[in-house]
Amino acid sequence: MSSEKKYWKSEAQLDENNPEVQSLENNEFVEHIPTDEFLGNKEKLENSKTTRRDFLKYVGFSTAAASLAACEGPVVKSIPYVVQPDRLVPGVADYYATTIANGYDFASVLVKTREGRPIKIDNNTSAKDFTAGKARVHASVLDLYDIKRLQNPQIEGRDATWSEFDEKVGIELNLASTKKIVLLTQTFASPSTDRLIKQFKEKYPNTEHIVYDSVSEEAALKAFQGKFGYKALPNYDFSKAATIVSVGADFLGDWQGGGFDASYSRGREPKSGKMSRHVQFEANMTLSGGNADKRVATKPSVQKQVLVEIYNQIVSNAGSTELNAKTQKAVDSAVNSLKKGGSKSVLITGIQDEGAQRMALEINAALASTIIDTDNARMIRQGENSKIDRLIEEMQSGQIGVLMTAGINPVYSLPNSEEFTEAMQNVDATVAFSMKLDETATQAKYVASTPHYLESWGDVQLTKKTFSLIQPTIQPLFDTRQFEECLLNIISESTDYYGFIKETFNQNFGGLSWNQSLHDGTFTYESEVNKEDSEEETISSAFNASSVARQLLAHSGDNLELTLYTKTSIGDGQQSNNPWLQEMPDPITRTSWDNYITIAKSDAESLGLKNYNVADGALNGDYVNLTLGETTIENIPAFIQPGQAPGSIGLALGYGKTESIQEEMQVGHNAFKLYKDFNTHQDVSLSKGTGVHEFACVQLHHTMMGRRDIVKETTLEIFNTSEKDSWNKTPEVSLNHKPTKVTSPDVDLWQEFDREIGHHFNLSIDLNSCTGCGACVIACHSENNVPVVGKHEVRKSRDMHWLRIDRYYSSEDSLQGDYEKKDNISGLSESLSKFAELEEPSETDVQVIFQPVMCQHCNHAPCETVCPVAATAHSRQGQNHMTYNRCVGTRYCANNCPYKVRRFNWFQYSQNDEFDYHMNNDLGRMVLNPDVTVRSRGVMEKCSLCIQMTQKTILDAKRDGREIKDGEFQTACSAACDKGAMVFGDVNDKESKVVEKRDDDRMYHLLEYLGTKPNVMYQTKVRNTTEA
Amino acid sequence: MSHYEAPIRKPLITGDKSYHDVTLDVVRPVEGKANKSWWIVFSISLIAFLWGLGCIIYTVSTGIGTWGLNKTIGWAWDITNFVWWVGIGHAGTLISAVLLLFRQKWRMSINRSAEAMTIFAVVQAGLFPIIHMGRPWLAYWVLPIPNQFGSLWVNFNSPLLWDVFAISTYLSVSLVFWWTGLLPDFAMIRDRAVKPFQKKIYGILSFGWSGRAKDWQRFEEIHLVLAGLATPLVLSVHTIVSFDFATSVIPGWHTTIFPPYFVAGAIFSGFAMVNTLLITMRKVSSLEAYITHQHIELMNIVIMITGSIVGVAYITELFMAWYSGVEYEQFAFLNRATGPYWWAYWSMMTCNVISPQFMWFPKLRRSIMFSFFISIVVNIGMWFERFVIIATSLHRDYMPSAWTMFSPTYVDIGIFVGTIGFFFVLFLLYARTFPVIAQAELKSILKSSGEKYKKIRAEKGDDAPLHDPYKQEAKPDFTNEFNK
Repeated sequence: MSSEKKYWKSEAQLDENNPEVQSLENNEFVEHIPTDEFLGNKEKLENSKTTRRDFLKYVGFSTAAASLAACEGPVVKSIPYVVQPDRLVPGVADYYATTIANGYDFASVLVKTREGRPIKIDNNTSAKDFTAGKARVHASVLDLYDIKRLQNPQIEGRDATWSEFDEKVGIELNLASTKKIVLLTQTFASPSTDRLIKQFKEKYPNTEHIVYDSVSEEAALKAFQGKFGYKALPNYDFSKAATIVSVGADFLGDWQGGGFDASYSRGREPKSGKMSRHVQFEANMTLSGGNADKRVATKPSVQKQVLVEIYNQIVSNAGSTELNAKTQKAVDSAVNSLKKGGSKSVLITGIQDEGAQRMALEINAALASTIIDTDNARMIRQGENSKIDRLIEEMQSGQIGVLMTAGINPVYSLPNSEEFTEAMQNVDATVAFSMKLDETATQAKYVASTPHYLESWGDVQLTKKTFSLIQPTIQPLFDTRQFEECLLNIISESTDYYGFIKETFNQNFGGLSWNQSLHDGTFTYESEVNKEDSEEETISSAFNASSVARQLLAHSGDNLELTLYTKTSIGDGQQSNNPWLQEMPDPITRTSWDNYITIAKSDAESLGLKNYNVADGALNGDYVNLTLGETTIENIPAFIQPGQAPGSIGLALGYGKTESIQEEMQVGHNAFKLYKDFNTHQDVSLSKGTGVHEFACVQLHHTMMGRRDIVKETTLEIFNTSEKDSWNKTPEVSLNHKPTKVTSPDVDLWQEFDREIGHHFNLSIDLNSCTGCGACVIACHSENNVPVVGKHEVRKSRDMHWLRIDRYYSSEDSLQGDYEKKDNISGLSESLSKFAELEEPSETDVQVIFQPVMCQHCNHAPCETVCPVAATAHSRQGQNHMTYNRCVGTRYCANNCPYKVRRFNWFQYSQNDEFDYHMNNDLGRMVLNPDVTVRSRGVMEKCSLCIQMTQKTILDAKRDGREIKDGEFQTACSAACDKGAMVFGDVNDKESKVVEKRDDDRMYHLLEYLGTKPNVMYQTKVRNTTEA
Repeated sequence: MSHYEAPIRKPLITGDKSYHDVTLDVVRPVEGKANKSWWIVFSISLIAFLWGLGCIIYTVSTGIGTWGLNKTIGWAWDITNFVWWVGIGHAGTLISAVLLLFRQKWRMSINRSAEAMTIFAVVQAGLFPIIHMGRPWLAYWVLPIPNQFGSLWVNFNSPLLWDVFAISTYLSVSLVFWWTGLLPDFAMIRDRAVKPFQKKIYGILSFGWSGRAKDWQRFEEIHLVLAGLATPLVLSVHTIVSFDFATSVIPGWHTTIFPPYFVAGAIFSGFAMVNTLLITMRKVSSLEAYITHQHIELMNIVIMITGSIVGVAYITELFMAWYSGVEYEQFAFLNRATGPYWWAYWSMMTCNVISPQFMWFPKLRRSIMFSFFISIVVNIGMWFERFVIIATSLHRDYMPSAWTMFSPTYVDIGIFVGTIGFFFVLFLLYARTFPVIAQAELKSILKSSGEKYKKIRAEKGDDAPLHDPYKQEAKPDFTNEFNK
């Protein structure tokens, strides 16, 4: 129904005859644009005011205006959750227990995630063993954000999809039915993976699974198998040990998977007057040697004799040895200690020889050692590296249809990698499961991009009875799929790997709760677990001591003997694209970004090798060429190492990578080429190379100059029998000509504040428990967004570490000798000569001390008074604050810091192409802790005693309305230290552990005589020098 | 008898100089054209200055990392240069203020240039505390000005803050003092000027000096008051600079002897720099009649005395290190003399303690060439002194683990050379535009200490009339009529 209503727009419309309305209505829709009217009238156009020039001006102006308006400031997108996940609160961290099991490092960890991003690895304190107190484990979170990660599967060098990958690999596997399929993998130590591989073998019966460890422990595995019938490594609990004798085993380093240092440290606390005695025979200076009560520099061939001699004296005579008097004396003493300790003694060895390893087991059996645990043996090494040579032969002869590698990089890490690479050409299809397009993956036909462990599922059998679960903490960043998932796809199993693990769990561990175990990350299961592949089982073999001894003693020892080792930072090299680890100074040499030959001073002199400091203090060294049989590595830098056994040299594995590694981090030489027969001991020859190497060494002076105020040290005997003042005397100053303790308020210039109110934080560092492992250094890096500055800046003494571990060598045979020498100096001429002598570390018989140093948070801080803008100030809680945005960068505070712990931002270290590390790419920046400012250039920074952590604890307790329990307050370093060397807490909580530490007789402050009243304290080092 | 001076005193103005001669000699560089050598020196200085400026811009835009500093040595060339320039800046005020109060009339022919040197040196010195900051664009935070940062105040405990006050006070007082002295001389140039532009400029610079008796009376009064104000500053500035080190805990810095030691060292280096500049200037601007051998000899005696004081201070430091029984102190000085930087220490010792001792020989201290040579040597030595104190104390202090060394980069060197260039650019411009001798003051002693009048008195007795007989000139020059 149409409406009859008329709408009018103006009054004029009402008059129908109004011509104006009429004409307006007619013109309502103009039918043509009146261009003719406008342009046709030439006269009008010519008279118009707008000339052509004006027109162009207007056009120009409006174009410029339009384009200017189009310019915008940079847009930073912050995308809110559309639907916020229930358990994810922005600003609140979530923690997940998981496990690192990369074939080299195995540990239970706790992962801190913020807004869904893993940002830090913490120790899983509920785990009894493998608690992650390792630098590499703490640094592994950065590997997740490695820009060199492989982001999708590849086929013949081009990007592919997973369905294509599955299809093609499936075809290849089926084609290989007449040939062999080889799975060459890392040690997974995973019950589920074992079960899966078994299922894979059922589908493809022509499959062989070879486990390969880049750094082999096969000798120890075989020896263990010989004695106990199955392949594993003995476990050790050093906490109860009375005597530890190590013959070439760096058990505080990576020996047999490492992780023994926590129990070792517990046995080193001289509580109730007892601590273990540790004797170390070794060639390279290692962490173990550095911590030993007695270290005997012994080259590998002599180590073998030492082992036989110990066997002779403890078990039975196996063969006569020819030790020099000094070593013989040390061995006799060590044997006495072993005998004295009885069942609390243990002998370990790092000699890569089945017989030697068996000998050690026999010695421990003879001692009835309770320190060694063969029941709950370690499962984390299963490599059968001796099978590799046969594999290469088979590959060359074309017997292998498909070669699948997973978690390993044999083209890099095999000594005969050229042969392996060539042999790969004769394999029909090579499949590499890899996180990176590494040396092996670049050679492979199919490359499966695998996720980081923080994106994966898994289970691990760490020891016979200890298990650990791997759970993802973030959605996979890239198009990746883990090895096990791929196998499941290939064998067309319907379940995913998560379901598969759960299935394994339910089959094996009846009665345990999956959710609880996953929550805890680790669990123990006492009864025997059915090990899937029982084909490996062999019957134990007899031990013929004299033939082993004959073989061990056969070594002539005339050659220069090389000991290959792995560094605390780089390990076997899988994490070499990790800038934190590259920049982490080696605990012994304090040199970063390199591997090098460590050589004794006497050997260096005979070869004409020099180490010297240039004008800016940086260390330079000569090059050497190293020859082993056919292999020669040219121009390896030589580092003169105090304590290196003469006639021996050391070289670290894990360097010299070239594929999938940023240019900045392509450092060092690949020493795997020298790892013949997977033996770390090799006879080599050296010659001087040409040119000079520039080291990036952070500590350029090696001795303590006899300064007692820095490290206090005493012996167990003195500690047990003497008054505190005789071994840990508080310094005194003269007040009215009377000696007064510096801690006395009478000698204080200032009026003391009342520090009893609220919290007051103290950090205690026990020099006995600290092994120098450096886990705290990396934890600090990770927690506090400490920048990486690169090799050249480190070389200029501009490392940014907030926490450093100073390493001092004795100049005499022991640090006590240094103290005495300095005390006895009298007169100018003696000062000149003796101080010059004290600058030089001892050559072979050298004592080592590790001392972690960070900001001491002085209550009378020299830095605080000198800042003109008051950018550094003291808090009521004892923390010395650094206000970055107030700092103008005069560096006066750093100059006036007696501990030299302040670090200056010489350049802009983040988002600067000159410093192309993780802070220069969006992926790497995901690791940054959002609670800590990224500092700009020109400001000072330093340890804050993790104020973001202490404040969080306080606020949480305040919100919950409860008191804070002791142990809740932590710093990154104290939390990372599973040795218990760092104890942090509130001294106003009288029940706290840190109060106990403060009141301990061993407690002293660094440079106490200055009266800076630090809130960081040290516990005097006690060495057990009691010779049995 | 007001013009009487013992005939045994050596004349301070040599040659037959009349009042008019003095005027002409002083205005010659201003009114005349620059010679070739001025242009050459000026060009070299300008290039050095621009090079330094480039280095400063590079530092500020890239970071302090462009210098050779490291985690252990936070200050090296920057603060060395700062203290060196402040030290040089000491002589001017000492000459003009202290010597004025002590009525040392020989100061009159050198005080103008010495003060100019002071101001130009303090300008160089002032640069370093600013550019050595990590974030120099925030340098104003060291000033106690009301602010919006939650009313964040400066730290009055910090010696670096005291420096800010000390240096800025010193610069402003020196500048006022200098300018006040310049007023009658600027007026003289203004009155002689024939070009209107020049007349205008010097008119402004002379603040409308009229030459009335009241002007002169106020001039004398303010001069005396300012001298009184400036005298304590001579002592305070370097005392406070020395506090930067003396109040710290670093062995080799933490020394109570520093204030007098630094002041003596500053006067020492300042006088040496005055010698360097004036020996050159008297030659270039033909001022031999005013800056006489007598002046140079007196300067050399001051150098010798202050050099010896400095030497005593060095030895006292060594003694105190030994006597204190503090091992860190002892090692610091042992290391200074025999450690890796022994060459810096012994350069300092040779240049500062040994070389001024040659001034005991009258023949040597009266030799222009030798004085010039020693003045350069002294300033090299004084630069090393600051380097030794700053860098060698820091490079090996308490924790041997942090010991390292320092090596300057081209930027460090460039900035230092740049400030030398800047200093000479300023000084050369000054020499061409300012009255380089306080002629008004000098004229007041012309009849007592001028050689010409001494001669008249010697010949005709002390009561001889000293005024020039009026001479009718052939063509009186009326343009300069009022100048007489």
